[in-house]
Amino acid sequence: MSDDSQSRALYATDMATLLKVAIHLSESSDLITMLTEVVNAAKQVLHADASSVWLYDVTTDELVLHVAKDLEPVRVPAGTGFVGTCARERQIINVPDCYADPRFNREIDKRSDYRTRCMLTLPLVDHKDALVGVLQVLNKANGVFDSSDEALAAGLAAHCAIALQRARMTETIIDGERMRQQLEMARVVQMSTLPAIMPTVQGYDVFGTFRPADLTGGDTFDLALFDQGMLVVLADATGHGIAPALHVTQMHAMLRMAFRMGADLETAFLQVNNQLAENLPDDRFITAFIGILDVARHRLRFQSAGQAPILFYKAQSGRCEQHSPTSFPLAAMPISRLKPTTELEMAPGDILVLLSDGIYEYHNRHDEQFGEQRVVEIIARNREKSMTELSSILLDAVSVFADGAPQEDDITVVLVKRAPVAGMAQRAFERRIDELGLIFAFTAEFFERNRIDLSMLQVVDFTIEELFTNMVKYSRMSNSAVDVRLTPIAGGVEVDLTDHDVDLFDVTSAPDVDVNRPIDERTPGGLGLHLIRRMVDSIEYQYDAERRQSRTTFRKSLKED
Amino acid sequence: MLTIELGPGGEVQIAGRLDAVQAATAQTFLDGVNGSVALDCSKLEYISSAGLGVLLKTQKRLTSSAGTLRLTGVSKHLRDIFRYSGFDQIFQIEIAGD
Repeated sequence: MSDDSQSRALYATDMATLLKVAIHLSESSDLITMLTEVVNAAKQVLHADASSVWLYDVTTDELVLHVAKDLEPVRVPAGTGFVGTCARERQIINVPDCYADPRFNREIDKRSDYRTRCMLTLPLVDHKDALVGVLQVLNKANGVFDSSDEALAAGLAAHCAIALQRARMTETIIDGERMRQQLEMARVVQMSTLPAIMPTVQGYDVFGTFRPADLTGGDTFDLALFDQGMLVVLADATGHGIAPALHVTQMHAMLRMAFRMGADLETAFLQVNNQLAENLPDDRFITAFIGILDVARHRLRFQSAGQAPILFYKAQSGRCEQHSPTSFPLAAMPISRLKPTTELEMAPGDILVLLSDGIYEYHNRHDEQFGEQRVVEIIARNREKSMTELSSILLDAVSVFADGAPQEDDITVVLVKRAPVAGMAQRAFERRIDELGLIFAFTAEFFERNRIDLSMLQVVDFTIEELFTNMVKYSRMSNSAVDVRLTPIAGGVEVDLTDHDVDLFDVTSAPDVDVNRPIDERTPGGLGLHLIRRMVDSIEYQYDAERRQSRTTFRKSLKED
Repeated sequence: MLTIELGPGGEVQIAGRLDAVQAATAQTFLDGVNGSVALDCSKLEYISSAGLGVLLKTQKRLTSSAGTLRLTGVSKHLRDIFRYSGFDQIFQIEIAGD
């Protein structure tokens, strides 16, 4: 055979070996096996006596040789020795006579009792041009490593690089998967404490839901009925991962236990705070809104440990009130004395809206946050809907706003609405006597629509006229409209007149008139109220000094005579 | 809406609603009435305290010169009002259907 054809024949054999090896490499996926495969492949393809594979550790910028299972791997900084230099420069280094090369360190041979004659060192680079490691082959049988060996080695190196990279990625995925499973289990525990079914409360529509983010978050909520009333909770534990999920689950259980044992709101809040301050690590805390709704008196009392915004949509004004937290976050430090509990009155149609940061701080690709304004607008636009629907609308709006940006934090929604009274009607009237015509049309239409016995209409009109004209005459400091609200009740109607920007003026406190005086001692004064007291079932005056708002409420129904 | 006028028999006929808006109109008319007059209330749909004030003022003036206002055709509701207010001691009242 000629030299040329001989080398071609050899080359063909080598290629066949290379192909076989390549296929073999593509089969296994665990890293240790892969390293062994690569070492064997190198020896086989290059007819080398020994071979080693060094993996590049990007975090320490070192090349690492896994020697044996229980032994510490050998580490060489990139740039040091043949292996390190090869990693840095990503060039093949072919040393035909090691002992003649001043760069060669004979110490290694001494330690392993081996005589390195010739050495080929080549970089392992994957298809994305990332350095995977370095391959070294030693002592070619029958000679030294020549240029065709270099070419062959380069071909092998490409396959090895990819196979090793794949093996490493698989390990990362497996580790990641393990982590994800642990997180998943913590999530399951966290979610198992959430109410599966919303409590049914006469006259109320309540809804809560939870959308966990992938890795982060420690949100929770609760809606549960106790003797004390309905517990309303929204909470958010600091931190990411498993810990906050567990912290918030602790809090959830503690609260339930406290109320179950008959604690009042303030005691439960204080004790849970103090217990968590003991249990949780120093740098952890939980923001929490904890409230009790008295569903008979329609009064919501709450303490909020740094949980905000607290939005309260008022049906009468069509606006959202903002309420402040009453305390710092739970577990931050023990409390000896609480700040006063906030009390809200829930009127028909009013909605308590509690949303976690995951909604307010959701940002889109332009780094804009969803924010409070959008939430307020959505509530106002959809106040007639059920709370289940309102929640969906809110979440959809966030999704649309996000436009593909990922959810980075848990999202929790809690909505509590007092049902509007069917048939209730409200209208504002200007502060002028001649508005009476419109008021009477309003009452007449209301009576007809709700089929209320018309025999009561005159009394209702008489009373409204009296109250209204008094407001116009005596509360001249105000320019505000007067709200007249009519609500059907059993056998009749409840009416309230609300005036704004006024001083206290309780028309119902005027004394009775002595109707038995002779005519020349009689005056019209006080007569209206005197008659009202005798014609209506009840009448009350309330004044809110902070808002400078007065409300007079009366009821008229048919009595069994 | 309120109409107040002299009827065929010399009685005053009042029809509609005697409320705060109409009180002034009614007062002006009644200021021109003298002596003993019947006030036919059968078409009076509604009276408020402003309307009662009008009646009271008129009666005071008339009785001081030996006159009086006789209220006729008074509905049950009006009768209750007059009773609670003591107007039944000041006016002669004839219930509807008398």
